[in-house]
Order: sequence, then C-alpha cells, then structure tokens
Amino acid sequence: MLEKTNRDGQLLRRVLLATLGMTVLLGCEDRAPEQTPQLKVYRHAMDQATVDLDPAAAATIYSTFVVNNVYDTLFMYKYLARPYALKPNLAATLPEVSADGLSYTIRLRRGVKFIDSPAFDNGQGREVTAADVVYSMMRHFDPATRSQGAWLWQGRIQGLDQWAAAGADYSKSVSGLELVDSHQLRIHLTRPYPQLPYTLANAFSAVVPKEAVDHFGREFSRNPVGSGPFELVSFDTSKAVLRANEGFRSVPVDLAEEGFDPAVHGELGIEAIAGRSPPFVDELEFHFVPESSARWAAFRRGEVDFTLAPNEVLDLTLAQTSPPQMAEELQTDYRMRVATEPAVLFNIFNMDSEGFGQHTDPLQNERQHALRCAIIAGFDWQQHNERFYFDLGEIFPGVIPPDVAEFDPNLSTDSVIRDVDYAKRLLAEHGWTAENLPLLTFGVPGSITQRNIFEQFRSFMLDIGYPRDKVVLQQFATFGDLNRAWKRSELPIINKGWGLDYPDAENILQLFYGPNRTPGSNDGNYQNDQYDLWYEKASVMQPGPERTELYRSMNRLLIDDCAAITGLSRTQVLMWNRRAIAYPDRAMVGGFYLRFVDVVED
Amino acid sequence: MSRWAAQLCWSILGTYVAIAVGVWCGLWGQNYDLAGGPKWGGISSDYWLGTNLIGQDIFARSLTSVATALQTGLMVGGLATMAGALAGACAGYWRGRWPDRILLWLMGVIDAIPFVLLAAAIAYALGAQFIAVALAMILTLWVPVARLVRAETQKLRTMPYVESAQIIGVSPVLIILRHILPNTWHLLMAQGLLVMVAALKAEVVLSFLGIGSQASVSWGVMIAESTQEVASGRFNNFLAASIPLFGLVFVLGSLADFFQSRRAGDSRASGPMQA
Repeated sequence: MLEKTNRDGQLLRRVLLATLGMTVLLGCEDRAPEQTPQLKVYRHAMDQATVDLDPAAAATIYSTFVVNNVYDTLFMYKYLARPYALKPNLAATLPEVSADGLSYTIRLRRGVKFIDSPAFDNGQGREVTAADVVYSMMRHFDPATRSQGAWLWQGRIQGLDQWAAAGADYSKSVSGLELVDSHQLRIHLTRPYPQLPYTLANAFSAVVPKEAVDHFGREFSRNPVGSGPFELVSFDTSKAVLRANEGFRSVPVDLAEEGFDPAVHGELGIEAIAGRSPPFVDELEFHFVPESSARWAAFRRGEVDFTLAPNEVLDLTLAQTSPPQMAEELQTDYRMRVATEPAVLFNIFNMDSEGFGQHTDPLQNERQHALRCAIIAGFDWQQHNERFYFDLGEIFPGVIPPDVAEFDPNLSTDSVIRDVDYAKRLLAEHGWTAENLPLLTFGVPGSITQRNIFEQFRSFMLDIGYPRDKVVLQQFATFGDLNRAWKRSELPIINKGWGLDYPDAENILQLFYGPNRTPGSNDGNYQNDQYDLWYEKASVMQPGPERTELYRSMNRLLIDDCAAITGLSRTQVLMWNRRAIAYPDRAMVGGFYLRFVDVVED
Repeated sequence: MSRWAAQLCWSILGTYVAIAVGVWCGLWGQNYDLAGGPKWGGISSDYWLGTNLIGQDIFARSLTSVATALQTGLMVGGLATMAGALAGACAGYWRGRWPDRILLWLMGVIDAIPFVLLAAAIAYALGAQFIAVALAMILTLWVPVARLVRAETQKLRTMPYVESAQIIGVSPVLIILRHILPNTWHLLMAQGLLVMVAALKAEVVLSFLGIGSQASVSWGVMIAESTQEVASGRFNNFLAASIPLFGLVFVLGSLADFFQSRRAGDSRASGPMQA
C-alpha cells in the first residue's frame, strides 16, 4: 500500500512537471495578439421563451419580438411616437386607399433582399417582391400552415376565404390580392376595413419566401429566412442569438419623423443615431428567463441589458411613484421608463347572467342596471391600483385607453371614483337586500395574485352591503379553463385584460358589439341596438374626427349602461443598462424598436 | 420522550385547540378577509403582525389558519385512521382471501401515485372546497394506517384469545371490533397523529398551489402570498404562517413518538395488550 502511494506520488510529480514545462513553452511562444473585433451586443431579457419563429405562429409578444427583427412587415410603428403611428417599412410609402375604402395599393421598396439561405437555388437571397407579400398572406389561410393569424383578414379580402375552401392551391390567384407589378400590389376588400394597414404591421403579416417554407418544411419555424435587420444565429429554449443582417437596406434615421421629443427622449442619448442606418448592434441576444427573481439578478449582475422590473422589487427600485423616479443608487447604472400598456383591465358584467344582466322586463331591467351601477360605485380603482400596480397604473373611465388617439381626456371620471354611500342608496332604492342579492361568482385562474384580487373585490362588495357568502371565488386550473367558462357564459362577471392588437379603439369596442356575443369576443353578451348601429357605422370609416366622435359616444353608452367596472391601463417599469441607447417598448405593437438600439462601451 | 415533555406538547396542542375553538365560536379571527388596512402595514396596535399586500390583518389570518389546520387535521386524521384501521383489520384477519386481495390491490394502486399529486387531482376534480380537499386526503391517507394495522392484525389473530373467540363462534366482525382493534390502540394513536401531520402539510401544499379550500384562509395561502414579499424584505406573512405550522407539526410528531415509545415500553413490559 505504501509502495503504491509512493509510485502514485512520483507519477503525479512527473505529470505536474510536464504540465509546467508545456505551460512555460507555450508562454514563451512568440504569438501575435489576437485581433478579435469588439462586437456590440445588446442582451434583451424576456419573461417567456419564444417557441416558434414562423410568422404564422407569432401570437405572443415573445414570438413577435424575434419575428419583427428577422422578417419585414410592410409597415411598422414609429420608434418614438406615442400614440403609436404607422410608417412604411418594406413598403415604400403608406398605402393609397380608394375613395370607397375598398382597395389599398401598396408599393414595395426595390432592392430589398432576403438573407442568404440554402432554400434558394444558388444559396443567395433574392429580391423581395409583391408576390412574396401575397404568398405570405395566402399561407395563413392554408390549413397546412395552422396559422394563428388568419383572423386578421378572415372575411375581409375578396376571394381569400373561398381560395382556402377550394383547397388552398397556390397556383390559383386570389381576386382580392392583385399583383399590379413585381413591386406593387392591390388589396381588394369585401367591405371597408380601415384597420388593414395596422394588420400589415403585425408580425403575422411578416413576409416569407415560399422557397424557404418548402425547403425547411416543419423546421421552418426554427429557420427563419427574412429580410429584416437581423438574421438568426442560434435558438434554443434559453436564448436566441441574432446578428446584424449585413445586406439590410440603408434607411437613415430621421428622428423628427420617428417622433423624437426632446422633453421626453432628450436624456436618453438617442440623438446619436440620427442620420445613421440601423441596425446599430452587431448582435442581438434574447435571454428567456421566466423566473422574475433570476431575471432581476441577471440584470443586476450585468448579464442582460434590459428587463422588466419585477413587482416584488418595485418598491426598492422606485424612490417614488408619482411621478415615477428610480432609486438614487440605481441611477448611475440604469435608465428607466414607466410605460403604460396599450391595454385595458376591466370587469365586464355578463348580460346573460341571472340577476346582473339585461332583462326583458323593464322594471327588472332597471333593478339589475342599478345593481351593476352599485357594484361599479363600490369598486375602488385607486386602492386596486395602489395595491397591485404600485399606483403606476392609469385609471380612466370607459374602455378606450389613454394610449390610443381616440381617448377622450375630457370624459367625466365619476365612474371610476368610489362612492359607497351612493352604491348603498342605489341598492336600497331598487329593493336589493342581503337576502335577495344574487350570487356573485368571481372566476380566476389559480394563482395567489388572482386570489388576492378576488379577496380585495369581496372586501369592496362587503362594504356596500353584499353578504360575505354571496361573493364567492371559483378558481380554475388554467386561464384556458377560465376562458372556456366565459365562453360558455357560466360566470356573472368577466375580469379580464385586453391588450390591443393594433392602436385603434375599434379593437376594444368590438368586445361589446352584439353580433360578437359568446362564443365570439363579446364575452359579456352586451346588447344595445344603438351601440351596434354606431359600431357598424364607425367600423368602415377611415380615421377622422367623425369616427372618433362615434367611438366616444359608444364609450359613453357603455358607462351609462354600467356594462363593466372599468378601467385601468397597467404600467410596466422597463429598465435598461446605461450602456444601451434605447427607448424600449414591451407592447404587442413594439419589438420594432430593437433595430434602433445602440450600445456604447464604458 | 419524558413525561414533562409530553405534558408540554399537550399544553401547546391545547393552546392551538383553544385558538381554533375561539375562531369557530366567532371570538376572534373573524375579519381575516377584510382589506381595510394599509398595504404591507407594519406591526401596530391595530395589526399585531402587520398587514399583507391588500391590507388584510396577518394576525387574524394566522389565527383563522389555525382553525383551518385543525379542522383539516382532525377530520382527515380521524376519518382516515378509522378507515385505515377497519380496512387493515379486515385485510389482516382474512389474509390471503378476497377481502385482503382487493384491499391490497387498492392500496397498491393508491401507493403507486405520489400522494400530493393524487390529492391535488382529486381536490381539483371535486372543486377545491373544504370537503373536497379533506375527502381527497382521506382517500389517500388511510393506506399507511391500513398497512400497519394489517400487519398487526396478522400477529393478533394468532393470539389465544382470538382463537378462543373463533372456537366459541364469535362472528369475525365482533372479533375485529372487540379483540383486535382495541389492541391496536397505541398504534392507531401514533398513526392518527402522523396522518394529522400529513394532512396538515398536504393542506398547506394544496393551498399554496391554489387548489386548497377557497372559502377560508390557510397557512399555505399565506406562504404563497409571502413569496412575493420576502424578496423585498417583508417576512411578516411568512413567519406568521410558518412558525405556527412548524409548532403544530412538531408537537403532533412528538406526541406520535410518545405513543410509539409507550407502546414499545408496554410491549417490552407485558407483551401485547389483552382485551
């Protein structure tokens, strides 16, 4: 045993000496220092992973962010302008709309190329043409694509639904998608659809080459071939790495055109990108970190440049909330933006539900209207905002949020101010007592935050005289289960958030349009003939003062009918490292901003 | 465990029971769901342990959670122990025959599924009400009791007093009820307490996951709430739930040890108890 130990020791000494010798020899070698260029890398943390890079599956913000940067859409949102405004992207100009609003003519930029890919004959990217745009829209209606975005144009474009019903044969043309020439197309609609340009800025509408779809087949979702500012290098469940597309067209930044406002953006150093053509970083990394504390820790360690500040650290992050100001110790390393989500958080009454909804008997209808109004008056938006959104959310009357142009800043805020006495009086005047108040079931997905939201709601209802045992919680295992209950009209109140798919109030107002009742998007089964009339009139109108006034009238009608406890737009605290020159945005309509991000080394 | 330690454990358990009885009688902990306080309020004369995110009184919630825990523990511990004792005695008495084979198959099936997963699935399927949660736990927790009692019964059925009863024609049911189960009393006490502990912990886990009882509050709910608070240095909710939970589990576990040690002592001193 002792001998063996000695032999082992000798062997170890020899190995160590040999290693040392090799190290010295290597150290003495006369080698030129490596000339590795310093890459500019921007690392963006996201709270969920992107799972599919096919534009036809870009239904989540996580997919949207990657898709919008590797593909091109015809239009995009201006970098800095709020409310959001469109500008041409792959298109050369904004569309020309016919007088009847039924035809949109769109010209494409010339010389825009897809990235090189084995999908193409010679491996080199070819020019993007109008035929690619037409193909990209048609494939949403091809059952083989399993598109999640066909709803954008369903029943809207002449012949497209029929083409799908007839077998989705790409050799046959669609009458509503007319190719004027190689770089110009004309879209013919079945009825006016003023929101069409917005849909063409959506990631679903990103332009893909047919060769790539055919070449990669099922793998197309992991092998994007686009003409966007970046191209994919690697992609897995924890990270997506993109590098700048060297062949990306030159489009110098016109800051005034992008909506630059020195008062808002002046401190961010954004002037540095004026006149330069994006993208400005060599590599763009998406880090998928679902656990909020891990994401925050990675941000604080400098492993990522951007994160949403998690709720649990907000009170440490913010020195004050009104106006929001970052804690002093963080200011040297980070920048912050408190951004209102283009979304509405509300509790919609189910008008089909016993006790709460609309009733055929006028007297009972009036009682139930009074009950809804009392519940609305008993809800404390200020406390809700303070407890769950750190007082950062924006409370507003009605359903049109402040982030869209149709928002009415002069609308009375009475409907969002709590008045318990008024609520009690309403109930008493209309014969509601603890005994005859209907059961108020509040459905939530199973999470502690949602349970807290219910408990706060119950507390508000107790204050107006609702008995404790009549405000009950019904938890659902998943949001999908809850959504099914809404669609089956099983719950008297639908507490939901609605994020805008495009910055037009129509996207929210359609939630109350009678013909959209469940299982359509009108979960509350709201029915008002006057509302429907106005909606039908406004939905075919181009943006303008007349349409805005109609939208606002519909909004007021919803308030008068006590159709929903509304509303609040949540805010997100976006934080990024000072080395990044950026004006981040997390909204569904965002994601385009990443091409404008620059990085300056310390 | 020494006698004074056991007395201390009984006293602590008595305190828990007194708190729970006070809640059931409406003496305290009734406003656990009112959100009238400040957000994350500190300790004060109004709120002895501060308030949570939505301004609820953490002290009141902790008191009510004691009642929830004991309600769950007593109901599940009692019923699961009784069910397990009867099933185990039947299986052991008719060892190798069809009641034994069916019960062994059933126990094997239930054992094959992780306990919390099975309880969660049953609770979810039945609608996450208190009765559903308790039933889910009873349906799973009777099994370990039954296994132990089955083994003990196999030993007891060879005892002369059981064989004498069989010879004089006493019915098997009466033999089980009069001669076998009373002799498993210490075993059942210890097992009953351990089942209570398992039920308490399962209730906390199910509530933490959001599939516990929705009509009341529980330490599991409070711990779930605290996950959003500890990162910013707020430990009131976490401590107000975890310390009483630890205390109750520790006391019940210690009393189970006490009964087991007494049984071992009795066994050494005088062999199996005679009816």
